[in-house]
Amino acid sequence: MSDANPSAGEVGADRSGTDPVLRVEDLVVEFSTEKGRIRAVDGISFSVMPGEPVGIVGESGCGKTVTALSVLKLIPSPPGRIARGRVILDGRDVVPLGEREMRRLRGNVASMIFQEPMTALNPVFTIGSQMTEVLRIHRRMSRREAREHSIEMLHTVNIESPAKRFTQYPHELSGGMRQRVMIAMALSCDPKLLLADEPSTALDVTVQAQVMEEIRRLQEERRMSMILITHDLGVIAETCRRVIVMYCGKIVEVSDTRGLFAHPRHPYTSGLLASIPKVREKKIGRLPTIKGMVPDLADLPKGCRFADRCPKATAQCREKEPELVEVSPGQQVACFYPD
Amino acid sequence: MEPEPQPSERREESSLAEGGVTGPVPVDILTADASHYRSESLWTKSIRKFARDPMGIAALVIVSVFFAIACGVWAGWIGQNWSSLQADGYTGMSREHWFGTNINGQDIYARTIQGTKTAFEVGLIVAVLSTVIGGILGAVAGYFDRTIVDEVIMWLYGCLDAIPFYLFVAAVAFALRDQPYAMHVAMIATFWSSTCRIVRGEVIKIKSLEYVQAAKALGVGSMTIIFRHVIPNTFHILLVQGTIAFVSAIKSEVILTYLGLGVKHGVSWGTMLSESTFEVSAGIFNNFIAASSFLFLLVIAFNLFADALQDALDPKKVTAS
Amino acid sequence: METLQFAFRKILYAIPLLFGVTLISFLLMVYFGPDLTYSLIGKNPTAEQIAEVRTQLGYDQPFFIRYGMFLKEMVTFDFGNSLSTGERVSSILLRTVPVSFAVALPGFVLSELLALALALIAANHRGGFVDKGIMVFAVVGMSISFLIVVIVFQIAFCSIYGLNLFPVQGWVVSNVADYFHYVAVPTMVIVFVGLGYNTRFFRAVIVEELNRDYVRTARAYGVSRFRILSAHILKNAMIPISTRVIISLPFVVIAGNLVIERYFNIPGVGLITYNAITTGDLPIVKAVVTSTAILYVIALVFTDIVYRMIDPRVALNS
Repeated sequence: MSDANPSAGEVGADRSGTDPVLRVEDLVVEFSTEKGRIRAVDGISFSVMPGEPVGIVGESGCGKTVTALSVLKLIPSPPGRIARGRVILDGRDVVPLGEREMRRLRGNVASMIFQEPMTALNPVFTIGSQMTEVLRIHRRMSRREAREHSIEMLHTVNIESPAKRFTQYPHELSGGMRQRVMIAMALSCDPKLLLADEPSTALDVTVQAQVMEEIRRLQEERRMSMILITHDLGVIAETCRRVIVMYCGKIVEVSDTRGLFAHPRHPYTSGLLASIPKVREKKIGRLPTIKGMVPDLADLPKGCRFADRCPKATAQCREKEPELVEVSPGQQVACFYPD
Repeated sequence: MEPEPQPSERREESSLAEGGVTGPVPVDILTADASHYRSESLWTKSIRKFARDPMGIAALVIVSVFFAIACGVWAGWIGQNWSSLQADGYTGMSREHWFGTNINGQDIYARTIQGTKTAFEVGLIVAVLSTVIGGILGAVAGYFDRTIVDEVIMWLYGCLDAIPFYLFVAAVAFALRDQPYAMHVAMIATFWSSTCRIVRGEVIKIKSLEYVQAAKALGVGSMTIIFRHVIPNTFHILLVQGTIAFVSAIKSEVILTYLGLGVKHGVSWGTMLSESTFEVSAGIFNNFIAASSFLFLLVIAFNLFADALQDALDPKKVTAS
Repeated sequence: METLQFAFRKILYAIPLLFGVTLISFLLMVYFGPDLTYSLIGKNPTAEQIAEVRTQLGYDQPFFIRYGMFLKEMVTFDFGNSLSTGERVSSILLRTVPVSFAVALPGFVLSELLALALALIAANHRGGFVDKGIMVFAVVGMSISFLIVVIVFQIAFCSIYGLNLFPVQGWVVSNVADYFHYVAVPTMVIVFVGLGYNTRFFRAVIVEELNRDYVRTARAYGVSRFRILSAHILKNAMIPISTRVIISLPFVVIAGNLVIERYFNIPGVGLITYNAITTGDLPIVKAVVTSTAILYVIALVFTDIVYRMIDPRVALNS
């Protein structure tokens, strides 16, 4: 792919002949803040194929959550809005859709799991009533059918005595259990795409692994597409086939997972990888960190956004912003000096 | 329903971070703003924020004009002729008597101006003392939370909150027979509780902060910590609570005076409105219009000022531009 | 069973509060209150008569005995006789409380409901013109003195300078039509006066709830905006809202509405309290103040129990 190609920057383009479940094109999401208008997501493009688990990784503030929220048009507005671009979910651009049409897609074609299982469920409704509500909206089930289906779903996510849990309130469940309930709820309408926003971050370490294992299993069994958002590259390595690395609202690197770990192209990716402790190494020295601070979105530097922290930055990097280009099969990077 | 809500009725409201026009901004895009604790920069930032709020500025200007009038009365420049019988009763508006005269032939304009002073006297005395008492007791209760001191203070405001305001004033009036300050004492005794409650909550947060812990570790005495380090960090709350107490005080003065529990010597908007209740049915509106428009203007300006202040001082609030 | 235990514990917590409010009332009105000796006695009393009345009033007793007597009055609902009419205070209360209730209740209920509706509309259009309009209206409403509202409404609806539709004052109610005739203007006054504060409070509560994560979850699963507001948010918001409503009930029932009842000359608790205040009729003021305070504490306990029924989480915190 050359620079001249109009679809340059588009990732995971149709290679197998099937249509992607999700195609994001040149998405820009703006927020009005005290410091003025900022772009939380600035012209990103990517797609997700049927059954494909894709990871989005980056530091907090890089726009990964905003990206996921845009897919379902859940950006809080005001202050946020989708300023430009297309988000084609299941063959249809959702950007121009109204609230009523969006409601039909949410929880149905695409579901989302949130970071905080403690607060994401309504504290004054039972697990059951929250789960059945979704089924009654999208599947028009009777109360009884919805109840049976929900209990079945709770069973699917390995919750013990699901019938009992069905009648309980969120506070009566542990964090891990609540996240399982969220997963059950997310999958109850058989969505084509699952958006999982840091699903395990807020949980205890031991529970984290179990919950991730559950998500991984269900994603495979149901051949469901998934976007897994995390800052934990380890989780990505175990779960995703492809990784999108975001920095300051831009995609800096896209790669198949194996390629990324074996040969990171962007200096930022290399930095992220270097900061993971390697258990197998006998001597664990001081972990390298990336120098400097993430630039303020309201006051971005000219040129490459990573330049100030980059060991390889040159005058060119501070002048011009690099485009995302394919450097090897399945690996794209936005850097003038890829590794 | 209490007709003239006291500050305590607004307590929940003011303790809420009123989301205003902004929705939840995903944590993802929030920069450090929310986490840093108040310091010099918070005040300058708040002043900047306040200066950009046209409603707040307008309100402040109106309040200042009223305050200038009150100062003029204190200085003896204006509104001094409020009690002398200068003309026949109920003369209409004229050059000598801008707002006409009342039943006794007293100049209503002078009485309205004098009433401004009374309003500020009541408002300032009640606002300052109730806020100071509430602030100190709240800080002490919060600093010693879950101890007997805290329990006693909470018990005290719990009890005071239970007695309806007007009846409490009546009870105080019974205890302080014919004391001109019975009304003030009663208001202070009830208004401090909402400030106390909010400050207590804030201090419980503040006291776990590093600098307080550090001072403790260095062996600084509790009272020194409270007055040097804790209370100054609640000034933003005290300021807002003070404005709310001020508004409540001047509104309550009117009602209490009407009920015969308020101003007895001198003139206030309350005494003018009480007089007017006998006049309006006869179609004489001078007292009524003069007092009610001054009262309304000052109260709404103060309410808007309090709102703007609250917005400007709320560090959690991200304003959409 | 568990709820019963919970209720019992709450009642136990209320005891110091009851002790406090009765003590404050006692101190202000009885211990430091006016000396009633000469109100109860005829002209030119002899020294024996004075001593007798003082003994009867307990003035020769020590502090705690007198406080005990005061408590006994409260518990037995026996507050003595009015100084001005000689009627038993308890029977005066029994006669006037229903009137106050009838005067205040429609306004109270309408004010809360209307405020809730306005708050939901405002919160739903957060930041928009509708929201701003409602909030400006609320601030204006908050800034108008109760007394001014009463005066204006009376002129507007009950006088020849206005519509002249309703009685200027009084309370002559023998049937439902009379009731509506007399209650209309007080109701409008109560609604207007409470609306600003209530709308602001409710809106703040609802907006706070709107920002919670569970709202985002509900949206992410296709729940409609209307249902989110009317079910998800309202049930959560009912906790602070019901507190406010229940807590203000005793003020409505007992304290009545001093200003309204005085202005419209309605013979409720408010009016007799007002008269008692001006004439120094201590037994009545004492009875009204203390019983309102006690009812308030009971309402507090009651709210806690209602809390527990609405919000399953409370069980964990206590």
